[in-house]
Amino acid sequence: MNKKKLLIALAGNANVGKSVIFNHLTGLHQHIGNWPGKTVERAEGTLHFRGYTIDIVDLPGIYSLSTYSLEELVSRKYIAVERPDVVINVVDASVLERNLFFTLQLMELETPMVIALNQMDMAKSKGIQINIKKLEHLLGIPVMPTVAVKGVGIAKLLEKAIETVEKTPAKKHPQVTYGEEIEEKIGKLMEKMKNVQLVYPPRYVAIKLLEGDEEIEREIQRINPQITSAAKKIAVEIENIHGHTCSTVITSERYEAAGCIARAAQKLVSPIKPTKVERLHNLTTHKVTGYLILVFSLLLIFYTIFTFGDYTSGLLSDVLYGLEPLFASAFGTGIVGALMWGGVMEGLIAGITIVLPYIIPFYLILYVLENSGYLSRIAFLMDYVMHKMGLHGKAFIPIMLGFGCNVPACLGCRIMETQRERLLAAFVTTLVPCAATTVIILGLVGNFLGIQWALALYLFNFLVIFVLGRLAFKVVPGEPTALIMEMHDYRWPHMKTILKQTWFRVAEFIKIAFPLIIVGSFALKLAEVSGLLEPIAAVLSPVTVAWLGLPAITGITLIFGVLRKELSLVMLAALLAPTGLAILTPVQMVVFTLVAMFYIPCIATIAALVKEFGWKKALFITVFEIVFAIVLGGVALRLLTLVA
Amino acid sequence: MEKRNSKRREAPLTALKAGESGIVTYIRFGHIRGRRIRHRHMMHGHEREWGFEKRLMDMGLTPGTRVTVVKSAPFHGPFEILVRGSRLALGRGMAERIVVEIEQE
Repeated sequence: MNKKKLLIALAGNANVGKSVIFNHLTGLHQHIGNWPGKTVERAEGTLHFRGYTIDIVDLPGIYSLSTYSLEELVSRKYIAVERPDVVINVVDASVLERNLFFTLQLMELETPMVIALNQMDMAKSKGIQINIKKLEHLLGIPVMPTVAVKGVGIAKLLEKAIETVEKTPAKKHPQVTYGEEIEEKIGKLMEKMKNVQLVYPPRYVAIKLLEGDEEIEREIQRINPQITSAAKKIAVEIENIHGHTCSTVITSERYEAAGCIARAAQKLVSPIKPTKVERLHNLTTHKVTGYLILVFSLLLIFYTIFTFGDYTSGLLSDVLYGLEPLFASAFGTGIVGALMWGGVMEGLIAGITIVLPYIIPFYLILYVLENSGYLSRIAFLMDYVMHKMGLHGKAFIPIMLGFGCNVPACLGCRIMETQRERLLAAFVTTLVPCAATTVIILGLVGNFLGIQWALALYLFNFLVIFVLGRLAFKVVPGEPTALIMEMHDYRWPHMKTILKQTWFRVAEFIKIAFPLIIVGSFALKLAEVSGLLEPIAAVLSPVTVAWLGLPAITGITLIFGVLRKELSLVMLAALLAPTGLAILTPVQMVVFTLVAMFYIPCIATIAALVKEFGWKKALFITVFEIVFAIVLGGVALRLLTLVA
Repeated sequence: MEKRNSKRREAPLTALKAGESGIVTYIRFGHIRGRRIRHRHMMHGHEREWGFEKRLMDMGLTPGTRVTVVKSAPFHGPFEILVRGSRLALGRGMAERIVVEIEQE
């Protein structure tokens, strides 16, 4: 048995096919988690090749190695501290210059690397020809052309990576040479750092100090404050010469270097004419057709998901509830039986009937939209609306998700750049009516008062989202960030990668939501069999009866709604038997629906909030929404009775 | 950079019409409108702003770069621009801060 071990990291811009390559390499042996203590995704996998056991880490897709975002910080620390044996830099051949800008930064980290020149097919269709030999020569790094979606070049890429490792000591690749005066300053700083031991290479530290990198500054400040003050002085000198901040000057020169290499290695063979992909882009971002297509696609998506979800959910419920006699015979019909069935099993059923019919299709569609490139066009079209809430276009994506289920929506807020925006977006998404809320709106108001009332409630919900979103934006401290987003060319999504991404998301959902749903449902059943429900309803009656004008029993059903929102309606119908829901007055129906819409994110959503933002913020959002819903319901009652 | 004897004027990126291009000259900061801020230490308490500038630079909008406006989304929406061979969506607030030099015939 050969026990040679290797660690390979995949790095590159977003949307260059990194995850597709990762999937090709690792197959099913992969695992997605978080970086310790960070809400940044970490995908790892293992493979065996040529007697090596190779661990592969897929770093987040980023454009730079500065400290603008957590992803960037995590990536560069990983490369500097964990020192992977080789970094595979995945480069989009059709946008060579921007990608090489990142490559040059990786080179500054002085890590052994190999380039996967991916999406060669797309480059070709854009009329871009790349001279591989020349690119290799200019960068001093092995380059392997690949078409990841078709699996072309992947095995050879791995061979090249291993070759690079075996060639020890790895030869140092050349670095970007900056302008004369900057090189001189870098030299000066490196001189000062001679005796300082750092995880990052000294040249990298010198450059980053000049760029004003906060993390590196802090670290050097601790070791030797003289170095940072010298760097600051030098930076000001450079700023005075160039009339731009030192960081701008360095970034400029780095891009210039990337541009030079790209221009030397690539050739435009055919005149640039609008391709099919280009025409599709124009159509989907056009001020008229773009919005028409957007509305049409969203309607189609929701219609499909809800029809499919409704049907499968019903089917699954029937099948799973068919197990009840089985349980009764196993555990009896006494307290134990009730707890096992009503507590554990019903909680499980609640989870299953959400995951299979709604969550899975939702994620599938989401990933198709994302990987094809349409999601970025949606963000482009919706930026204006989101801006009114202090968020930018990308926030529309978690909000869209929220209509299916608030849990993935909360987790989806990670696409926002700053923690502040993640929180704001998450707050807004918890107000979005999810599939379960829709069941209540349609099942109660839509059914008894007519569809126009249901629609009115939806509109009101949007209004609330808008107003509260805006308010939160004013209250939460910090600057809003604006949209800066690459819109990569449309492409066919790679189905295998999408299936895997969906699978990991679903597994994550199950891990977050299921334990809480089951525990919660067990606790409620326990309260029910021990006769605690009546007293609870009595305690809550000042709120439910006096303030909201609802039957006292709603106090209990609303508590059950915490598990799963539509449960509050289903239970209410059962508890109001034999007359059922029809006994409620129209005003009561509207008030109940309003409260159910806003009163709390369900328990699974709270769990997701805790995971992403910690207990305090999750608790704050929960309490706020409960109070808000109760106040709103009471006010609505009084206004509606006035009108009626 | 090529030199031409045409008139040049500076304007925010938002002044460009669809299909027009310009050369990035500098990034303007929001709170001190119109004034060219040369040093970061002149911007007290605006570290995030610096983050923005860095982000723009990292996306390739460095001084001297040619930018082409493809279009802007309606209702004062974001701009679609071409820069360094790639397509970017840029929020209007951010586009307003990018000062470009427009070549006039």
